[in-house]
Amino acid sequence: MKYSLVKIVLFSSLFLFIMTSCRKESTVSDFVNPNSRVCTTYASQFEAVWQGMDQGYVFWGHDTVNWDERYRTFKPVFDSFDHASYVSQAAYQQAYTDLFEGLLDHHLFGIFYAPGNNGKFAMVSPGVNEYEHTTYSGAEMEKELDALQKRSDLVKYIGYDATINYTYGISIPGTHFALIKGKNAGEMIAYFRFTGFSLSELLQYRYVLPSYVFAPIKAFYGTDEGYGITPKGYANNDSVVGIIIDLRGNGGGSTADLQPFIGSLAQQHSVVGYTRVKDGFGRLDYSPWAEYMVYCPSNHLLKEKPVVALVDINSVSCAELATMLIKGLPQGKVIGERTYGAIGALLPNSTYSHDLFYSGCMGDYTMYEYYRQYIGEGVDYLVQHVYRSEYKGKYPFYIYTSTFNMVDKDYNQVEGVGVKPDIEVLFNRNRLWNEGLDIQLERALRYIKTGR
Amino acid sequence: MKLIQHLSILILALMVAIPMSLKAQEDSAPVNPAAETSPRTPHFSIGVLGGLDRNYHIVDMSYMTDYSFSPYAPGTSYGVQLGYSPWKWLTFRVDGVMLNKNYYREHMMANGGGAYPDTTTNQYVNVPLVVMLNVGNAVRLHAFGGVYGGYWLSSHRKGKTMAVFGSPLYDEDVDLDSEESQIKYNRKDGGFTYGAGLSGVIAKRVEIGVEVRWYYGIYDIQKEYMTNLNPRYNTTFVMQAGLSFWL
Repeated sequence: MKYSLVKIVLFSSLFLFIMTSCRKESTVSDFVNPNSRVCTTYASQFEAVWQGMDQGYVFWGHDTVNWDERYRTFKPVFDSFDHASYVSQAAYQQAYTDLFEGLLDHHLFGIFYAPGNNGKFAMVSPGVNEYEHTTYSGAEMEKELDALQKRSDLVKYIGYDATINYTYGISIPGTHFALIKGKNAGEMIAYFRFTGFSLSELLQYRYVLPSYVFAPIKAFYGTDEGYGITPKGYANNDSVVGIIIDLRGNGGGSTADLQPFIGSLAQQHSVVGYTRVKDGFGRLDYSPWAEYMVYCPSNHLLKEKPVVALVDINSVSCAELATMLIKGLPQGKVIGERTYGAIGALLPNSTYSHDLFYSGCMGDYTMYEYYRQYIGEGVDYLVQHVYRSEYKGKYPFYIYTSTFNMVDKDYNQVEGVGVKPDIEVLFNRNRLWNEGLDIQLERALRYIKTGR
Repeated sequence: MKLIQHLSILILALMVAIPMSLKAQEDSAPVNPAAETSPRTPHFSIGVLGGLDRNYHIVDMSYMTDYSFSPYAPGTSYGVQLGYSPWKWLTFRVDGVMLNKNYYREHMMANGGGAYPDTTTNQYVNVPLVVMLNVGNAVRLHAFGGVYGGYWLSSHRKGKTMAVFGSPLYDEDVDLDSEESQIKYNRKDGGFTYGAGLSGVIAKRVEIGVEVRWYYGIYDIQKEYMTNLNPRYNTTFVMQAGLSFWL
């Protein structure tokens, strides 16, 4: 009995010793949130950027870039910067351009600053590189609107061009409403174009800005309060047999516009696609997919009728979400060119994005605010007068990237790919300039008139 | 958790009470020379076992301090056991068990962002092989240790997640065969197992027992698909009762 107990104790001790030495140590224990990391060298800035993207970038499930390989390639480059007597602006820029080259996220935009005698400032935007290599040329809004207003079948036109209101500091999107004759007598087609998804913000100023700013919105939707499409809106007029939402050149904006201005084109709530966020340090640590539902307001299109989204390569972000919504409508059609491909929704403020979701925008958000505030003065001004005083000895960075990974209703990847039109009609500059003919709009009108 | 604690006390109490009761009956009843209250050796045994488990999902969340993992998602363990005892004090035992390695995770989002719970239910099959040291006769005490191999059969997630609009609920199977899962997850399981138990003979060649056991996984549940892989391990505590027959 005594002998057996000794054996048990010895056996157990040996067993526990072997057992506890078989697990790998965590590599993330010393990681610091990229939002609160203070970098004081080129190498530490690179480490923070690489690690932040490694954890918080939401497209690793689809991206083909080998991020580990990028580390092995660029770590020595940034290490060498710390040991060099002089690092040129061009070399600093090139290192970051190459580090981010080919990443899928078309929202992605990075700002990096290194202090020194001259201060170095690098910016990356890999999505723009892809855009510049496409064969799509995009639309020319001014000429297209000119062609619209000269149409012989135009019944009514109300337009307001985009401006900046210096009194209130808001950017007013251009809005354009038109009624065009339909196939049969008495039939009409309602047309609405807007340059950005900031209509809800704009409508907050309806008591202080002149009423003509809101006239195109009121004509189409019947209200300037952002409550969807009321029975008074032309979109709901019985004589209107089809609708064209022109999203060409629409740079996107706030998703708050989706429900009242696009969701109201449906008769019920619309699932646009599915989203997910990161939920761990692994590149493939994701939350489950969640429906991206755009609710249909009580004021909506009363009668189902053809709705066409006119799009091009300059239809970006929210404009692409709107395109996906319209594409999913029973009588929805997308006509034009492929959209830009920056579809993952985001929160620009890194405190709200990375600190809450551990996904998306990260780094020093103040940098981005300075960037937006002073970029009009030029990059040199920003570097010499703004960043220099703010970031003595620090190597701050800010990365603007999607908070949500999004796929379409069939779980197809849309980031970096864009929304493909149901009917592709490429922009034709010659016909627009020489004949005053907008062939994309013509195709949309033909579809509504013929159903083909 | 409380349920497991109460059940464990109940089962342990029964396991002490039953052999004592049998012993009392044995003392008062006429001796039956055919009844075997102590195992002959060598002998084989075969039986079934089942019980409850709770899994500890070991993962370092570093600065993500608003994430917490806890084992408040109990599961079950059940299967068959096969033993061979060359001597009275030594038994080799192999089991085939289906068991859950579940965990509960909560993301308590900062700045009043709300709580996002997730209960992940995982089904594994494990085959532990242990060496068991035995002490006693009619009532025996066992201590054992060994290794186990296994496979991750299925996974299910239930909880609340973050979306652009709202916080939708989900209740869905995880497709472990998807392209992404095949890159990420390591479905092979294995490690060490150890524990202790108590058994008693209740009839001729029939023994019941209870045991507590730990499965200490040494396989990361993820494949090494990235450099900074944050390892995730399962350690599972099982409390089970068994019924075996000496062959």
